[in-house]
Amino acid sequence: MTVADSLPLDSDAAPPGVEEQLDRSDRAALRPPWRQPLALTGGLVILAWIVIAIFAPLLAPDPPNSQFAAPLLAPTHQFVFGTDQLGRDIFSRVLYGARLSLPLAALLVAVSLAIGSLLGAMAGFFGGIVDSVIMRIADLVFAFPGIILALAVAAALGPQLRNAVLAVIVVSWPSYARLARSLVLGARTSEYVTSARLFGSSGWRVLRVELGPNVAGPLLVLATLDVGNAVLLLSGLSFLGLGAQPPTAEWGAMVSAGAQNFNSWWVGLFPGLAILTVVLAFNFIGDALRDILDPRTARMLGK
Amino acid sequence: MTCGTLANLAVINTSLRGRARRVTPAGLGRFLGRRIGIGLVLMVGITLVAFVLTHLVPGNPAAANLGQRALGDPAIVKAFNHEYGLDKPVVDQYVIYLGKLLHGNLGISEQSHRAVVTDLAEYVPATIELALFAIVISLVLGVGLGILAAVRRGKLVDGVIRVISLLGVSMPTFWVALLAFYLFFFRLGWFPSGGRLGPAVTPPGNITGLYTVDALLHGDWSLFASALDHLVLPGLVLGIYTVGTMVRFTRASVLEVINNDYVRAARVKGLSEWTVIRRHVVRPALLGIATVSGVAFGSLLSGTVLVENIFGWPGIGQYAYNSAINLDLPAIMGVSMVVAFIYIVVNLLVDILYSILDPRIELR
Amino acid sequence: MRKHVAGAIGALASAAALAISTVGAASATAAPSASGGKTLVIDNSFQLVTADPGHMFEPSGELVDNGLYDTLVTFQGSDLKTVVPDLATSWTSLENSKKYIFHLNPKARFSDGTPVTSADVVWSLDRMVNLKGNPSFLLAGEKIVAQGPETVVMTSALPNPALPYILPNPATGVLNSKLVKAHGGTDAANASTKDTAENWLNNHSAGSGPYVLSSFSTTTQVVMKANPNYWGAKPAYSTVDLRNVQAPVQGLDVERGANEIAVDLSPAQTKSLSGVQIKRAPSPNVFFLFTNNDPTISTVTSNPWFQKAVRAAINYKSLVALAGTGSVQTPGVVPTVFLGALPSSADSKTSVSVAKADLAKSGLKNPSVALTYPTDVQVNGINFGDLAARVQQDLQQVGITVTLQPQSVQVALQTYRGGKEAMGLWEWGPDFPDPSDYLVFGPGHLVGLRAGWTTADAPGLATLAQKAADTTGTAARQSVFQAFQQQLNQRGPFMPLIQTAQVVVATKSVKNVQGNGLWLVDLRNLG
Repeated sequence: MTVADSLPLDSDAAPPGVEEQLDRSDRAALRPPWRQPLALTGGLVILAWIVIAIFAPLLAPDPPNSQFAAPLLAPTHQFVFGTDQLGRDIFSRVLYGARLSLPLAALLVAVSLAIGSLLGAMAGFFGGIVDSVIMRIADLVFAFPGIILALAVAAALGPQLRNAVLAVIVVSWPSYARLARSLVLGARTSEYVTSARLFGSSGWRVLRVELGPNVAGPLLVLATLDVGNAVLLLSGLSFLGLGAQPPTAEWGAMVSAGAQNFNSWWVGLFPGLAILTVVLAFNFIGDALRDILDPRTARMLGK
Repeated sequence: MTCGTLANLAVINTSLRGRARRVTPAGLGRFLGRRIGIGLVLMVGITLVAFVLTHLVPGNPAAANLGQRALGDPAIVKAFNHEYGLDKPVVDQYVIYLGKLLHGNLGISEQSHRAVVTDLAEYVPATIELALFAIVISLVLGVGLGILAAVRRGKLVDGVIRVISLLGVSMPTFWVALLAFYLFFFRLGWFPSGGRLGPAVTPPGNITGLYTVDALLHGDWSLFASALDHLVLPGLVLGIYTVGTMVRFTRASVLEVINNDYVRAARVKGLSEWTVIRRHVVRPALLGIATVSGVAFGSLLSGTVLVENIFGWPGIGQYAYNSAINLDLPAIMGVSMVVAFIYIVVNLLVDILYSILDPRIELR
Repeated sequence: MRKHVAGAIGALASAAALAISTVGAASATAAPSASGGKTLVIDNSFQLVTADPGHMFEPSGELVDNGLYDTLVTFQGSDLKTVVPDLATSWTSLENSKKYIFHLNPKARFSDGTPVTSADVVWSLDRMVNLKGNPSFLLAGEKIVAQGPETVVMTSALPNPALPYILPNPATGVLNSKLVKAHGGTDAANASTKDTAENWLNNHSAGSGPYVLSSFSTTTQVVMKANPNYWGAKPAYSTVDLRNVQAPVQGLDVERGANEIAVDLSPAQTKSLSGVQIKRAPSPNVFFLFTNNDPTISTVTSNPWFQKAVRAAINYKSLVALAGTGSVQTPGVVPTVFLGALPSSADSKTSVSVAKADLAKSGLKNPSVALTYPTDVQVNGINFGDLAARVQQDLQQVGITVTLQPQSVQVALQTYRGGKEAMGLWEWGPDFPDPSDYLVFGPGHLVGLRAGWTTADAPGLATLAQKAADTTGTAARQSVFQAFQQQLNQRGPFMPLIQTAQVVVATKSVKNVQGNGLWLVDLRNLG
């Protein structure tokens, strides 16, 4: 088959002639993210949510846990998102939910990124037994599918938000480890690293000073893409009752209340929309960032 | 579902490509041996992880599975702990577990009092049926939209499809399930609320455990209709996330080959654009798509937890959830083993498939 | 029932979100089946482990086994105060309730046509005890012997006036001993390791009840068919299909006529239903609050004036409103549906001013306390967290700051059982419908100790509890248990809150629908 002759499967070579073959869309993709409509929308939405999170006490008409209204009121002028089964204002609770979900998502991703890239970089840089041990553990986590592992961790440690966060970190770090490892492997043999080592720099120093900046870009893109997943996984655990506990205003737990009172559609709809907008916004940004990476790295991220 | 599938896909994709070195396919046996070896090591590792995790638990299984009064009676607690081997040192318990495992014995579930193997045999096919349906849906939709987006790249259609696929991977599955449930069951009454079959219907004789397939094999159309009726809504909901990833992957794969010389050559020969796409672009792209669906299947298996929860689908996700919160140790171990086993086997199959479809890849 | 712990565990599934469930498409289920009888479909959010009476102790299991097995005595309809004959036509209590003689009905037949003998009764009850399972405690300490084929004698070292109220539990169901022995059953002392009949009993039944087991799944459905050899009045429905359906959906199924009966709806979920019959009654499930009486655990909660302040500060009416129509405030720890319950005139009264005055007398300034409760459980559709949030709000108004400390049942139970919780919100479901089940709240007893309440703290009440345990005769028991609870309300560390509502929703075609606090709905008298 002709395909076999020309299909470039070797990951170490960029497709030939990519540069001169850029058509309109590809060039559009190379615009900086702040000039792309999707990324811009995503950025604005995130910004809006950050503002909401900071000023929730000023913006929300009621405290998140006060139960003075009648239960399960449909949206009205007074309660724009209606009230839940305890007569709490859902609009206020959705706003307050941002104070929980956003910082936690950032924390989750930051910690997973730190742990994952450190371990991955070590694996890639030192190779040998270090590589084998770290990557086998990563394999283990991969073969132990996400939510089931998270379920086991959260159940073992007890259903609390803190434990759910731990569970998500346990599940998330291997992606970063694998990416970091392959980036380091690619860069290790490059000339600047070889020369740095020739000049007697220690392994750690090379890892930190020389490799760091080259590896950081793609990892940050993966992190941006992963914020959405972290929000989804965390709210999923809360939905199952293994994360945030009542009366905490958390979006996943609020959707769960919606499932209990499914004929009152507003109980679950609005907190779910909040999750969707946050995740979508991060995915818009991540998607645009991925496009401006060079094609080879982008492919590692699963373009 | 939400378990970082996008990132997983990305990484697996990378490792697949990393594996693609041009050497002869001579070492298939050696490759298989090595991969099965790694798989076995992984499985043992998983039993260890599951075992350690479940023994970290601050509560204790007797408390979880015995009544308050029964717990007050030391003789009953002792009998319970003895029955489930919980009175032995932890290391011994693990060795005993591994020993039984060699004989295909996963122990007795503390909740159902049945062999875990029996429980799994009941729940695993239900989840596989759901995941297969979701994969088929996402293949049809995802590949179709992906090709369309690639062909019309840069046009409005491409942009719209891009937003759709991003929406697909951004929606919380449990929320979509709830909305679908509200709309199609509660408001419109188009679909049943949950379960696998209607009330008056008895399950088909067990051949594959997939009710739709079994019903067809028995030629029982009304049973098939009932099974399909129950499968459609949860299957669609479960498939949404995978549609999103599939669209993106297909688009990328197609774009990768669409500007190659041989494709240009085909165009120059005067073949119509769609023929060119079909023959020279889609076919090679299918290779990657097949692998991605394999990988996606593995993650769907774990992703069913939330969907099963809403639709009352008696599958392995529900079983895992109930086992986890009831600290049913043998059941948690059993579920972990089975899901990991399926995941490892699917990955192996994907690799073999890859080597068959593309003989230049050597299996190491 | 063991709702309070293991039952609570069963409820876990429905707690976090929705239980495994199966709901049918709308189809005419009441249509005549091949045998000419009618089919009854019951929607239930399963808390089901086994159909073997010797192991069974969950609400759905009680419903199933009540259909499959007869007990010596039973309850009729929703009345849990009156014991009526089942296998035993009559019984007498001797020697200050230490000895009971049961006379069996000679007409009673198992589903295979063989007569029910005293040997079957003795074998079944001994097996249940020796299996050392959840229900074993029900008859612990009872010596059970047969005197001739139609007489069973039960004796115990201590008076057991509650025995007639314990025996209706389907866990004491009588099995066809020959049949079960043939499938691995044994009543020997080592039955807990040697008995292997449970699996068989999950696929077949071996009882004398109106139904026989046709199919059994703990996650989807249980089908029972009318027993062709039933020795009593033929049941109105020839097939009973108990289906696992998530609670919120059940009402809709009945409203649309897809299924006949729903047993798990919360009062709030029945609000919008029309064209159906709705039976609401207080369930025997009691939510209560306790403040630890042990000063080493908390100097705040052990303060008696603080305890009084808490009792007066709680807005019981708002809790009842939260639990919905059919629920009631519990005057004492014994639920209103049982013998010995206090009248509603004895309800604790809400008064913010009294609470503030009591708090002032306690000498505590701006006290702050942690309230622990289990999160992953629900009782009759009520979340602990929802009640706890209300309690927090009520106590805030009198100047007590409550920090909510939600924990998983597993974790919370450990601290609760260890007596380590400063303040706890829990629920007690009856093991059997008799006030003696509530003596555990006494000082130095099971639940009393969990609240750090020892015999030395209240010697008078401890004596009264012992007296209540030993008293026989309905009227005498009634008054001694009421006295016990009045004292408990005055100087105990417990604040009984509410009984949840038990709601049964049925299509109008079903006649004589009655909820039952033990087995959810009375199958035997449906018309």
